[in-house]
Amino acid sequence: MGLVDRGRMPAPLTKLFNMGRSYSMWVYQWGLACCAIEMGAAFGSPRYDVMRLGVIPLPASPRQADLVVVSGTVTDKMAPAVKRLYEQMPEPKYVISMGSCANCGGPYWDSYSVTKGVDQIIPVDVYVPGCPPRPEALLEGIVLLQQRIKNEDMAAKWRNEEFTTLQKTAALEKAKSQPAPEPIVVGGGPIE
Amino acid sequence: MSDTATGTDETAALPGDGLREGIVDRLRSDLGEHLLDTYLIPHTDLWVRVSAEAWGQTAAALKAQGFDHFCFLSALDWLPSPFGKGEDDPDAEPVAISTELVQGYTGGETRFQVFARLTDIKRHVGVTIKADVPESMSVPTWLPHFAGANWHERETHEMFGIGFEGHPDLRNLYLPGEFEGFPLRKDFPLLSRMVKPWPGIVDVEPMPVAAQEGDGES
Amino acid sequence: MTVLNERQQLSYIAAQAADARLNVELETEGMTLNIGPQHPATHGTLRIIARLDGEQVVWAEPVAGYMHRGYEKLTEVRTFPQVTALINRIDWLGSFANEVPFILAAEQLMEIEAPPRAQYIRTILFELSRIANVSLFLGDLGVQMGAITPVFMAFRDREYVLNLIEGATGGRFHPNFDRIGGLKDDLPKGWIAETKQVMKKLRTFCDEIEDLLFGNEIFQSRTRGVGIIPADVAKSYGMTGANLRASGVDWDLRRDQKNAMVWDQADFKVWTHPDGDSWARCWIRLQETREATKIVDQLIDNIPAGPVMTKVPRIIKVPAGEAWVSTENPLGEMGYYVVSKGDLGPFRVKIRSASFNNISITPWVLKGVYVPDIITILASLYFILGDIDR
Repeated sequence: MGLVDRGRMPAPLTKLFNMGRSYSMWVYQWGLACCAIEMGAAFGSPRYDVMRLGVIPLPASPRQADLVVVSGTVTDKMAPAVKRLYEQMPEPKYVISMGSCANCGGPYWDSYSVTKGVDQIIPVDVYVPGCPPRPEALLEGIVLLQQRIKNEDMAAKWRNEEFTTLQKTAALEKAKSQPAPEPIVVGGGPIE
Repeated sequence: MSDTATGTDETAALPGDGLREGIVDRLRSDLGEHLLDTYLIPHTDLWVRVSAEAWGQTAAALKAQGFDHFCFLSALDWLPSPFGKGEDDPDAEPVAISTELVQGYTGGETRFQVFARLTDIKRHVGVTIKADVPESMSVPTWLPHFAGANWHERETHEMFGIGFEGHPDLRNLYLPGEFEGFPLRKDFPLLSRMVKPWPGIVDVEPMPVAAQEGDGES
Repeated sequence: MTVLNERQQLSYIAAQAADARLNVELETEGMTLNIGPQHPATHGTLRIIARLDGEQVVWAEPVAGYMHRGYEKLTEVRTFPQVTALINRIDWLGSFANEVPFILAAEQLMEIEAPPRAQYIRTILFELSRIANVSLFLGDLGVQMGAITPVFMAFRDREYVLNLIEGATGGRFHPNFDRIGGLKDDLPKGWIAETKQVMKKLRTFCDEIEDLLFGNEIFQSRTRGVGIIPADVAKSYGMTGANLRASGVDWDLRRDQKNAMVWDQADFKVWTHPDGDSWARCWIRLQETREATKIVDQLIDNIPAGPVMTKVPRIIKVPAGEAWVSTENPLGEMGYYVVSKGDLGPFRVKIRSASFNNISITPWVLKGVYVPDIITILASLYFILGDIDR
C-alpha cells in the first residue's frame, strides 16, 4: 500500500478503508485476571454477542490480531510478556485496557508486585473503567474505538505518529497550502 | 478469650475437649521436652509450639497420629511494622512505634516463627504447629513427610527469607528472579504508600478552615 | 513422592520401548515445550514447562507468579472492613465464598455471631457463588477437548445466577456484601421466587451437560484413567475439595466442620468417587452443582425472620488473638489464619487458598502422560490463577 505509506490516499478512500477496518477487527483476548471472565462473557456468550459489532474474538495468535484487550492485573513478572505480545502484533494495532488494574493498578495500587497500569508498557487507545467492568462496558469501549478508527488518518498511523483525525490532517494541509504571511518588519530592513 | 499463652497445666484443667487433650498428651510423649507450649480453646482449635530442632520430627509424630492431610505452612514476623500503616501524612512528625516483640498464642522468643497446620480427616480435627526460627534462619524441611510442603516452603523462603534444610530447590515461586528483599517481612516498605498517602483513610484531608491556615494540602 | 503409579509406569515403559524401536530409524531428541504464560489452553496465566520425550512428558514444572498481587502484604495495611473488598478477588469466579471465612474468623475473634437470618442468606449466596463458579468449569471442560458448545451454554445459564447475586448484593462479580456481624442488606422483593426458577434452570443445565459431555465417547476416552491421583498422595499434597473427594476421601467441610453457617439445616449428599482420575474429578463437580441447587432450594424456604446485622461498633477493632477458619469453597478448602493485635487492621493474614495446594501436585501427576493429556488433567484439577498466586 504505497499510497497509504506516503499519505497520498484520498480522504473518501481512507474513509472506506477505515470502515472496513473498524468492522472486521480481530481481537486477541489477553485475559489476565478477574476481568478475563467478564471479557469472556462479552466475547463468548450468547447474551452479549460481540460479533454483531463486527468483531471477531478468536484469532489464533497475536500475529493475526488488530486489537488486543488487556484485561486484568498486569504484574511486574508479566509485563515483559505483555510488551512482547504487543510487538508481535502487525500494524495498525490498537489496545483496550480493561478494568481498574490494567488502567492504573486498581485495588493493588500499593502492591510490591503489580505494574501500576498497562500504559506504562504499551500505548493504550481506550480505557474501560470498573472492577471488573460489565460486559456492556467493554462493548461500549469497542464501539468507541470503532468510531475513532472510522475517523482516523491512516497515513499518520502508518508513520507511527500520534492519533490524528482526518479533519485535523485536512486542516493542517489547508494551513500548509496557504503561503506563509510575510513577517512584518518595522523599518523594512532584513532580519539579523 | 485471652491472648496470653496458657500453660500446659491450665490447659489440662479446662473443661471438656478430651480429643484435643489426648492429641497433646500423645505428642508430649513423642517429643518430650521439645514440646514447648500448647494453647487450647476447647471445641475450637489447638496450637502447639515445638523447638526448631524437632520441627521435622513433629510432622512425623503427628502424621503417625492420623494427621495425614497437609493444610499449609508459612511464617510469622512478630516485629511491629516500623512504618505503621504507611497512610500518614508524609510531612507530619513520625510517631514512634514500639519495636517490642509480642508473640501470639503459645508465646515464643524469636522475631520469626514458622507455623503450619495439619488436619486429621477421620477425627475432623486440626492443629496449628509453631516453632521459633533460630539465628541461622533455617529450620528442617517437611518434604519427607508431606510432599505438599514443597511449594509452601519455597513461598516462605522468598517471602520471609527463611531457609529449609534439606529442601532441594528453594527457587522463587512468585517473584521475578531479580527481586530484592523479602516482601512479607514487616520491615519491607510498600513504596507506593510512602510517596502517596492512602486515599481511603477517613479525615485525611484537612477541614477547609484548617487548609486556609496553611496546614498542608494532602 | 515422585514415584509413578503402576499404570503410569507400565505405560511409560511401553512407550519407551516403542520409542526405542522407532529411534533406530528416526533419531529423535527430547524437546522442551513451553506452554504459557498466556495460552488458550490454560486458564489465566499459568505457565507449564514440560520436557518431552516424543509425545510423552518426562517432567513438567508449572511456573506460577504471573498473577501474584501480594494479598498477604496488602491486608496488613488495610482495616478489617477494607480487607473483604480485597479478598473478593482471590477466587474471582466465586467471589462471595472468599469473604465468608475471613468474616467468620474476625467474628470468632470478636466473639460475636451473625443473626440466623444473615447466616441463612450467607449460606445461600455461598452456594450460588459455587454454582456460578463450577458451571463455568463444566462449560470450559468442553473447550479443553475441542467442544465449543458447552461453554456457550455455561455462559448463558451462569448469567441467571449472576443476576441473582447482583439482585441481592448489587455486585455482579465482586459483591463485597459480607460485613463483620452480618450482611449489608436484606434480600430484595421477589428474589426468592426468582431463585427457585433459576435453580430449576440450573438443574436442566446440569442434565444437558451430562448428556452432551459426560456421555460423549471422546470425552470419556480422554479423561477415564488419565491423571490418576491416589488418596494418600492427594492428602500428602494437601488437596481439597472435589479433587480430594474424587480420590475417594470423604471430606467436606460443609458437613464435617461446625461454624456459623447453616449447611447442617440442609440435607445434601457428599459425593465421592473411587477412581481418582480426571473423569471422576469432573463428575464430582457436576454432582456438586446439583447438590448446591438442592441446598439453595431447601434453605430458601426456611429463612427465618429477623435482623441481618448484629450490633457491632461503628469502628471495628478486633481483639488480640489468632483464629483459623476455613470453609469448603468451590475450589476446595479456603482458610484464613488471622492474627490480630487489637488494631483496626489485622497484624497478619495467612491465606490458604485451595488451588495453590491442588496445583502443586502437577509435577507429580504430569509425569509420564502424553502432551494432550496435560490440558485435560489441568482442566480437571480446576484452578483459578488468583487462587494460586494470591
